[in-house]
Amino acid sequence: MAQELTFFKRRPDAETSRRDFLTRIGFTLAASALASCSRGPVQKAIPFLNKPEEQTPGVANWYATTCAGCSAACPLLVKTRDGRPIKIEGNGESPLSGGGTCATGQATVLSLYDPDRLTGPMWHGETITWDEIDRRITERLAAARERGVVLLTNTIVSPSTTALIADWSRRFPKFRHVSYDAVSFSALRQATRECFGTAGVPHYRFDRATTIVGIDADFLGTWLAPVEFTRQHAARRRRALSGEMRHYQFEAGVSLTGSNADRRFGMAASDHGAIALALLRRIAAHAGITEPLPDVDAAIDEHAIAAAADDLWRDRGQSILVCGSNDVSIQVIVHAINAILGNIGATVDVDLPSLQKQGDDGAVDALVEDMNRGDVHVLMTYGVNPAYDLPAGPEFVRAMESVALTISFADRLDETAAHSHAVCPDHHFLEAWGDAEPVKGSFSLAQPTIAPLFNTRAAQESLLKWLGESPDFYSYVRAVWRRELYARQDRYHTFDEFWDHSLHDGVFEDPARGYRSQGSARLDPERWHAAARAIAHDHQRAAAARMPDSYELQLYETVALRDGRHANNPWLQELPDPVTKVTWGNYIVLAPSAAKALEVETGDVVRLAVGDHMCDLPAYVQPGQAQRTVSIALGYGRDRAGKVGNAVGVNAFPLVAAHGGHRRYVRGDVVLQRRTGKQLPLAATQTHHSIEGRPIVKTITLEELLSGTPEVMAPQPSLWPEREGGEHHWSMVIDLNACTGCSACVTACQAENNVPVVGPDEVRRGREMHWIRIDRYVDVAPDNDAALDVAFQPMMCQHCQDAPCETVCPVLATVHSSDGINQQIYNRCIGTRYCENNCPYKVRRFNWFQYAGNQEFDYTTTDPLERMVLNPDVVVRSRGVMEKCSLCVQRIQAEKLSAKQEGRRLADGRIKTACQQSCPANAIVFGDLNDPESEVARLRRSRRHFTVLEELGTRPNVGYLMRVTNGEKTEKPS
Amino acid sequence: MTRWKLVIAIAAITSVVGAGVVARELSRVGVHQWYSPVQPIAFSHKLHAGDSRIPCLYCHFGARTSRHAGIPPANVCMNCHGILQKQSAEIEKLKELVAIARPIAWTKVHNLPDFVYFNHSQHVIAGVACQACHGHVERMERIEQEAPLTMGWCIQCHRAHSGGANAPAASLDCGKCHY
Repeated sequence: MAQELTFFKRRPDAETSRRDFLTRIGFTLAASALASCSRGPVQKAIPFLNKPEEQTPGVANWYATTCAGCSAACPLLVKTRDGRPIKIEGNGESPLSGGGTCATGQATVLSLYDPDRLTGPMWHGETITWDEIDRRITERLAAARERGVVLLTNTIVSPSTTALIADWSRRFPKFRHVSYDAVSFSALRQATRECFGTAGVPHYRFDRATTIVGIDADFLGTWLAPVEFTRQHAARRRRALSGEMRHYQFEAGVSLTGSNADRRFGMAASDHGAIALALLRRIAAHAGITEPLPDVDAAIDEHAIAAAADDLWRDRGQSILVCGSNDVSIQVIVHAINAILGNIGATVDVDLPSLQKQGDDGAVDALVEDMNRGDVHVLMTYGVNPAYDLPAGPEFVRAMESVALTISFADRLDETAAHSHAVCPDHHFLEAWGDAEPVKGSFSLAQPTIAPLFNTRAAQESLLKWLGESPDFYSYVRAVWRRELYARQDRYHTFDEFWDHSLHDGVFEDPARGYRSQGSARLDPERWHAAARAIAHDHQRAAAARMPDSYELQLYETVALRDGRHANNPWLQELPDPVTKVTWGNYIVLAPSAAKALEVETGDVVRLAVGDHMCDLPAYVQPGQAQRTVSIALGYGRDRAGKVGNAVGVNAFPLVAAHGGHRRYVRGDVVLQRRTGKQLPLAATQTHHSIEGRPIVKTITLEELLSGTPEVMAPQPSLWPEREGGEHHWSMVIDLNACTGCSACVTACQAENNVPVVGPDEVRRGREMHWIRIDRYVDVAPDNDAALDVAFQPMMCQHCQDAPCETVCPVLATVHSSDGINQQIYNRCIGTRYCENNCPYKVRRFNWFQYAGNQEFDYTTTDPLERMVLNPDVVVRSRGVMEKCSLCVQRIQAEKLSAKQEGRRLADGRIKTACQQSCPANAIVFGDLNDPESEVARLRRSRRHFTVLEELGTRPNVGYLMRVTNGEKTEKPS
Repeated sequence: MTRWKLVIAIAAITSVVGAGVVARELSRVGVHQWYSPVQPIAFSHKLHAGDSRIPCLYCHFGARTSRHAGIPPANVCMNCHGILQKQSAEIEKLKELVAIARPIAWTKVHNLPDFVYFNHSQHVIAGVACQACHGHVERMERIEQEAPLTMGWCIQCHRAHSGGANAPAASLDCGKCHY
């Protein structure tokens, strides 16, 4: 610009030339700035030096393994990309889980990438090498050879680990293995052993039952094997559409199972025994057993007992009674009832029992005594956290001080590891070899899906090393399978063939397990009479000791956090509880009458006092809760879980009582007091549970279904022209009759689609980001508080053919695809939120903040380790962008591509959305409506099919099948 | 008078030209056509794909099954260069890096933004030639991005192939590439 522009007349003063100069400079600056805008950051592409044959960037590898989220050990198929697991799915080969998973299982992939994991061994709080810690431990173990060495573990369902523990007991004369479950079933174990000689918990078969009666057993939510039981329950409900099936539930607190029962009856928390005896009395009468049973003075509903007992008797041999009590006498009564009904061997299998819940309360108590006496020289803790979840946790910590060497295998410095001398962190189950036998005869293998991220070592390999063996658990498992399982089958003729196929399939069924026992076991009547007398005696004593104005307390596990071991998992902390829809914390559940008496509302803080123990919790008013019973969830109030789980909620484990050598989760003598002026608003995703007469959820009685066609709404006239179709028309149907509300789909969707975690403050503002939610609608009978009519409805983007959201986007960021999907184009969205406003189903979620990589939301994407769980096929959304269910378009595209690559037609059922794949009840069906033979097209033609808010004329591509009821229900407006 | 008219005329023309420049520059933000960075090893596609006629998919095998075509791992290079007698300064660089076990950090030439999902194998299966998007790579000494890789450029090909008797349809749905 040095050249003079001669057509400007030069003025003598300098101002003009300065102005010209500035104009030219300004133009240059703008132009050069724009020109340099076309630069971008340099990107590098760094391929392998030596590429492993099976790994191609962009192509997923699947490995069969077994979940270790709880002792149910559901077989899994884990999807890995670029050598790291990103998604957990169930293994359809499993006859137990049937390919389902629970929310906890889905979330375990995130706990692999937990930055609070220990990265290496520690000795007295300092980091140390494996060689050095091995040297020190072996030295001390050699000195302890003649003294007490104890291995305290949770339930071990792994046959190889059990064999290894047996090796230890052979090597160390004073070695013993103590099993400890945070939530104990030891009374059921003892009762089963006393009645049938079986060392174990029975394997229950709800799919073989026509009448199910549960007494405070949340078998669809948290009791024993919820994935397997949900699958069985849903299968039975499907078959029952042509016949009948009844599920009665007696419970004090409102559980997921009670919400799904055909008839729900209330009870006080301590009434398990009274109800069991009442049922026994009536069934014994039917069976012609004349010996009188002792009376129990309890206020129980005789009509309820009659209905349940009569149905149990009518369907004897095809009925089942389960009870969640941890009292031996009560479980003996339950076994007696099942025996009289002929259910043993049919619906209650004691020949091939469940191997879960091996915890022995008596042995744990004895261990603490031995520790205090100084008889335990070495204590190893594996998979347990007694400092947190033993009711006398502080006492256990004190007892640990009398132990010369305490070793913890915990993956983090948890409450127990923090007080241990040595911490030898175990691998995460996704990094380790192993096997499982959760039910006798059903085996599965576990293999690593990623090389260990840190300098951790499998607990079994530490145990092998300290025995002086080679720390190679892979070879050990192979040896056990060769020795014990290979011989049981004759399909494969070399061990390597057998091993490779078993590892590929993930599961192995012992062929001999097809055997069913001959008949029902006979139970000595004297046994149940003794139990009945014990129950009557207990009840009398409790009634005499009861204080006026006291409440009873029921302690339970939540579907999300269970016994608290997953407290540091943000997906699980933010998972709305299926029944209360509350996240991030526990609370005290009160009946409306109790709340009124205390003058509290939901969110007011209540002080609970039991003996010397006191705790403050926010109240949650729950219609259907027993009037004099309050419920508190276990698993909260941890202080060494990690950055996410610390100080969330209150620890309720100290409230667990003991009775007859077994832990007890119900107790009386609870005093409540309102903490005036204190409030702790709950972070709930749904606070209004009434349907207000709108046709959102429809139910149909079995009679109506079998007799005729329910009214079908005439198609709405529409102003919109018909859309041009494409090759496919994707559609989804959700069976409300099978859905139990377990919320596994919510976590599966979060894992698959990189849905962010927003924290309790944002949840309180209604800004949780879950693409799918389970709406819960409750109708309470006007005259009977306990008879709840609950409906669960998974709600996600309905992909309306005439979507109200598509017409109002000013930039066309949401449009309809040629194959029926309502698409959300993140990069085009400018965040007007008009679409969110227009959506009648309220399924659109807005990114109010930059949730990813933001220290203010330090949950799942701030640490580079945590980001390894992200699905690379799904964009991570930024601030100001709307998002919602996409019907897993990435999975649809991947499967279509796979079909093209393999040159085959796209078969129905091959494409599974994440929610569909995880559902243990197979309630969600996805497919192509353009194929008249597809499952989804068939279901759309079903008499039970309806769409939500049909009268709005949105023509959703997501349909529902009506829930079928067959009890005396409240009149549901439909 | 004339002087002011002249001033306005010049100003108007400058504004129009300026606006045109601004518009063109703004629409070229993020467009890296003709990008041809120097690579750590001066690999010549002209020599390998052109003169030696090595098929694209021999080295860039990922394009057949994955969304990423991928730059070949060093073991693919060493398939030949491990046994060939031919030596040169660039081959020496390759062998040195392999000897010290350091993966080669190539500079990626064709970059799409994060909000675009592009899958190579879909296009390879549909029969799209590599040259259609990458230009005549077999004539390039050093790789240069020949195509603008803008959405408009992708769409014009998708429009041309939007179905027909036996041809697989290239979708025009937004959500097929933006999810």
